[in-house]
Amino acid sequence: MSDKGKGIYEEVKSKVNKLKEEGGLEREYWDFWKLGCLIKTKVHDSRTIYYDTSREFVERYNEQLIAIREEVVENLDYYVERCINVMRKANNFKVYYAKTNEEAQNIFMDELGDNKVIYKSKSNEVKDIGITDILEKKNITIKETDLGDILVQLFDYKLPSWQIGPGAHFSIDDIVARIKEVHGVEPEPTPNSIVDYYRRTYRKELLNDVKVSLTSANAISAEEGTIVLGENEGNISLLTRATDKHIVVCGIQKIVPTILDAVLVAKIQSRINNVPFNYISLISGPSSTSDIRGINVLGMYGAKEVVVILVDDWRIKALKEDLIYKDYLKCIGCRSCNFVCTAARAFGNIFASKYGWGATAILTDYIHNGIEAITKDGLFFCTNCENCYHWCPVSINLGEILKSIKKEATKAGLCPPPLRDYQQKILKEKNPFK
Amino acid sequence: MTKLIYLGCLSRENFKSTCENAIKIIKFFDNEYKIIENPPCCGSLAYHISSDDELKKHIQYINDWFKANDVTELVTICAGCYNYFSRYYQDYLGTDFNVKIRHLLQFLADPKNLRKLDLSYPGKKLNVNYHDACHLRNAVKPIIEEPRTILNAIKNVIFNEMDFNKTNSICCGAGGGVYSIFKENSDFSAKAIFDNMKKSKLLLTACPFCYTALKRIKEENNIEKPIIKFEDFIINLMEGVDPLS
Repeated sequence: MSDKGKGIYEEVKSKVNKLKEEGGLEREYWDFWKLGCLIKTKVHDSRTIYYDTSREFVERYNEQLIAIREEVVENLDYYVERCINVMRKANNFKVYYAKTNEEAQNIFMDELGDNKVIYKSKSNEVKDIGITDILEKKNITIKETDLGDILVQLFDYKLPSWQIGPGAHFSIDDIVARIKEVHGVEPEPTPNSIVDYYRRTYRKELLNDVKVSLTSANAISAEEGTIVLGENEGNISLLTRATDKHIVVCGIQKIVPTILDAVLVAKIQSRINNVPFNYISLISGPSSTSDIRGINVLGMYGAKEVVVILVDDWRIKALKEDLIYKDYLKCIGCRSCNFVCTAARAFGNIFASKYGWGATAILTDYIHNGIEAITKDGLFFCTNCENCYHWCPVSINLGEILKSIKKEATKAGLCPPPLRDYQQKILKEKNPFK
Repeated sequence: MTKLIYLGCLSRENFKSTCENAIKIIKFFDNEYKIIENPPCCGSLAYHISSDDELKKHIQYINDWFKANDVTELVTICAGCYNYFSRYYQDYLGTDFNVKIRHLLQFLADPKNLRKLDLSYPGKKLNVNYHDACHLRNAVKPIIEEPRTILNAIKNVIFNEMDFNKTNSICCGAGGGVYSIFKENSDFSAKAIFDNMKKSKLLLTACPFCYTALKRIKEENNIEKPIIKFEDFIINLMEGVDPLS
């Protein structure tokens, strides 16, 4: 019996016990999340907004989306090269191709220059690529602009949050009290008043202050070199227009063949999560005008400069070496698998890593930090129910991927001892209960 | 040529009366089916964590046991056994695996057997829900319509679909060996399955893993509606007993 396996099992068990504690942060989050899951899955089959349900919409475009993603993954080198060429030659983008996360971080810091403040949109990719880590390490002030993330910052909440509504578990009274404590003002305890407070203060600050902004991309089209960004608040529209420099950081798997494919990806992300994309930005270059004697000048109202950092890191390797998580390259990052994940429902944000929570976030931890890291994140919570697979708009079988990783963990002596005992009885005695 | 009733370790260990019921049902249709004492475990709990070599060796052992006992077909009442026999044994052994695998639900849903069964509920009417177990809905040959066919064929039984059903059913949280290490995985999901019941007085399951989790949650949460194993439900009706009594 491996002591390490026993130790990690006890560590994870203690997190589970913490989840049961009344009044704990994990429990508070979990109570909200359980409700959120059921509402999300029910809304998926409701017909209250559109003529079709979200499920019907996703099913209608399912085959098309899978074909798009498979085409790109199978020909990733080709699409990356094509996309970079178009972005550079036709779109006036400054484009970098980073082989590793570390390289991407260095490029990013060079592009940031002497700026000590950055305004950013919500992004899982940015965490995955380690940009958040490097900004924190270099004491750069990160100004989140999605209200959910603003609230997470306001509360200094360090536990992983739900990517789509990261601050949704804070109560209205707590938000008001915290705003009073931090900013010295007390909005009325209503969502409208709280939003109005940030609109009057933070929106103005953003418009006046933003010099460099950071986003990822929902998708990037190779044919047009266009970055597609979807949102509901308008923060991305503001921070990509009002800034001097807009830096886009994302993995190369975000590339799709055409702009129509990119819009389809965004539309599916919106419908599958039942989150409206009130704005979809198609950014094909910095702001420009030729109104003075036909001479093109950059930066009239929008960004003067758009920098795109496309990151390989684990991606090409996964493809070329046929690694167990190769299929994850097809992921469109909708994160809807979390709502139907048995482990995510049962364990909330303790089934998580520093990259966020849910199976995709613990898989990211495995990719960057290895087998021990994912075992600590709750790898063995997964029942392999394959709900993620049935739900996934591109049919990634995350359950199968996690199963392969469980085997690796067991080989490394990290399997929880009671399960290992059952396995040994089965393999040796041919009876788990002997 | 042996026709085997393969009950599965969990049922043999924990649900002895259900095993007896299953044997009665199968023998009612075909008396050639028989039990062989101490059959080896299909390996269900070990699949998620064992290496290819370990699994191959185990599967080879089981196949040799089948050959030694001249087993040509089997009916199992365990959703896990059905899933793993039909998925992995073929994968690892190819044409060397020559046992016809059926779950009791497939056996019962056979039109000939269903006609012979000719079941009815002894009371006025009985509304039932059925929980689709992951092991059955995810199998290489999924078992989804069979329980519906059986229930719809029973007089005075009204089968109601739950909101989350078929491939979208809620996992009970007990699969993949997780129940042995993080029982808490069922606390929310198994409760959600009961909450998802529609217009029905009882919940049926054909998976002993699901039953284990659902039974615990029912007891811990004082849920009144019973959870009944499919075999027990069928034998009750065969014997004219109200499953709710």
